[in-house]
Amino acid sequence: MLDGAKPSVLDVKDLKTVFKTRRGEVHAVNNVSFHLEAGELLGVVGESGSGKSVTMMSLIGLLPSPPAEVRNGQVNFGGMDLLRADEDQLRAIRGARIGFVFQDPMTSLNPVFNVGFQLMEPLRKHMGLSKSKARKRAVELLELVGIPDAQRRLKDFPHQFSGGMRQRVMIAIALACDPEVLIADEPTTALDVTIQAQILELVAELRKKLGMAIVWITHDLGVIAGIADRVLVMYGGQVVEQGPVRELFANPKHPYTRALLETVPHVRGARAERLKVIQGQPPMLSGQPTACPFRDRCPEAMPRCAQENPWRISVGHSHDVACFWDPDTGEARDV
Amino acid sequence: MFDASQQRKLVSVRGLKMYFPIYTGLLRRHTGDVKAVDGVSFDIYEGETLGLVGESGCGKSTCGRAVLRLYEPTEGSIIIDGKELAWDNIEARRISDQADRIGRWATWAAFLLGAALVIWLGATEMLTGAWPIVIAVLAVLVATYLVSRLSRSVIYRLRGASEGVSVDEFAPDDRALRRIRPTMQMVFQDPQASLNPRMTVADIIGEPLSEHSNKTGKERLNRIYELMDEVGLNRDFANRYPHEFSGGQRQRIGIARALALNPKFIVCDEPIAALDVSIQAQVVNLLEDLQTELGLTYLFISHDLSMVRHIADRVAVMYLGKIVELAPRDGLYEDPHHPYTKALLSAVPEPDPVSHDEANRVILQGDVPSPSNPPKGCNFCTRCPSVMDICHQIDPEFREVSAGRFVACHLFNDTQTAG
Repeated sequence: MLDGAKPSVLDVKDLKTVFKTRRGEVHAVNNVSFHLEAGELLGVVGESGSGKSVTMMSLIGLLPSPPAEVRNGQVNFGGMDLLRADEDQLRAIRGARIGFVFQDPMTSLNPVFNVGFQLMEPLRKHMGLSKSKARKRAVELLELVGIPDAQRRLKDFPHQFSGGMRQRVMIAIALACDPEVLIADEPTTALDVTIQAQILELVAELRKKLGMAIVWITHDLGVIAGIADRVLVMYGGQVVEQGPVRELFANPKHPYTRALLETVPHVRGARAERLKVIQGQPPMLSGQPTACPFRDRCPEAMPRCAQENPWRISVGHSHDVACFWDPDTGEARDV
Repeated sequence: MFDASQQRKLVSVRGLKMYFPIYTGLLRRHTGDVKAVDGVSFDIYEGETLGLVGESGCGKSTCGRAVLRLYEPTEGSIIIDGKELAWDNIEARRISDQADRIGRWATWAAFLLGAALVIWLGATEMLTGAWPIVIAVLAVLVATYLVSRLSRSVIYRLRGASEGVSVDEFAPDDRALRRIRPTMQMVFQDPQASLNPRMTVADIIGEPLSEHSNKTGKERLNRIYELMDEVGLNRDFANRYPHEFSGGQRQRIGIARALALNPKFIVCDEPIAALDVSIQAQVVNLLEDLQTELGLTYLFISHDLSMVRHIADRVAVMYLGKIVELAPRDGLYEDPHHPYTKALLSAVPEPDPVSHDEANRVILQGDVPSPSNPPKGCNFCTRCPSVMDICHQIDPEFREVSAGRFVACHLFNDTQTAG
């Protein structure tokens, strides 16, 4: 099913994360499997509550436990299973070999330390650089992400930067130790479109220069279309469709992906008189999933969808979908 | 397309300015202003939707709130349904400020004088016994109230007559404004924050009814049910609390509340920004249905250019407190005139990988300048890709370059003003 030509740097199998709450368990991530090839950009799309962030946080042990519990799965990264690694091993990986960029740069930068300190911290902790060498590298990094007058701005505090500049600083910190994998969780959602365009251009440039693999989480299909090589569509804590970006946008197979692409209005091209709507609400995710999470909102739902949870079925070259319905024939799949 | 000339202007805004003063230093001196809205003019015709787009901090929400007089505008004229809500006449504004000051002083003076009089009368034993003192105190309070209520209109009349300003030209005071409020309502961005968590849905939707109408309990409840049907909420949920609803349904509660008094004009301030993509379409379709059904007029404020293209008839683009372009929707999206509009449109990522490869992007450099210290000349001159010398000197005039299309840019100086 998951056959990649290039070696994968990150391989996730059957990941399951559960939150324990007073009202019972919330199954936020259910048997999620994906891999990340060297140098590729994997886009992860889904609505809020679809489990995209929780998946990535579980990978590297960033979820507080309790309430979270990673119940099952395997995460292969550099010959190691991250889910079974101890805290010291994880600490050596986080920030050094796997970089993280979070959604809101204001809350993820520490307001009481200057930017230089926060940039130099991973360099000194992970790479053991001396203070002067770390400072030199910090200046290089700020220049890399396009912050003018980098030398002087090291002394500035986060509040002295604008939103776009803060996100650039976050990216610089994530890149500080030359990570093999960069996980970006909605990095442009809090930014304006013109600033978002700047950041997207920067990321494209950095990929060319540094060649790391990137996981880019977003709910914006437009952003994904522009930068991703491959796309993972998540719904209700599960991967419902996975495929190369052009293939997936041109030929979506899952009813959710299809509906999602139809509901968003466009800035260019023909204008629909009336927006298509996905009726209903996202699922609650309480209890072990035994049926398709999308069935209540699905225009193609059939009796089988309520009895079995569809597994991922290959429908083309590295394109798979978790659905019993086949859009090409308009009938149920024979699986 | 929407034919503007045939329609009646429901809302007309001219030269609206909304400054927020900055006070600094030990003495809290007035050292500058945040020019959130800096001279904005537009019309909204009856039954249409005007989209107001721009980046965060450009003043679009402030503009929407100022139009509804949720703020006291610094300057400018706002006419909604034929009634002036702000100051068409600059002289009137000055007199009104004076009246405010004088009124405050007069109220305090009346109160203190009265109190002194009562104390003096009491001390000299001209007032004795409980009843005369109570009556005297009441008299002082009534006098103070009358001064505070009437001083404004007396000053308007006296000063207005000497300066040649008629009484109609003064902005309505809080009481008069309250009578106008039912015609204009607002739907807020965050349904979580704009609904009182301790009130039931029926209370929330019914609150404007009990404030502004004389409906009996039964009539009121019927109207609440009617409204809930209209926005697609189940009547059985009338006694539930906002936290029991999802984001999209909460926004429906907010819309029902806005509709309660049969308004003509609704300002929708980013009504879908807090919602998921699949829920956004539901709410937008509801707003469109209500518009057709009830003949509503919307000012739709949003940063989502693709959604505005869907819902708006005409679109105004704001940058740093000013409208840089205002045009019919199709014209604006197909042939944007202002360099900022062009950059903004090209920055919107399209959900289509093929168009991304072909797209000819304009990527703006730098950030939006601070509205407390806008650049000299054109506000956009620091980031504009087609900047000229004149842009650093002179602020371009906002003018009509062809029928219905307004642009504030020196690139269009050569075109004759239409009409």
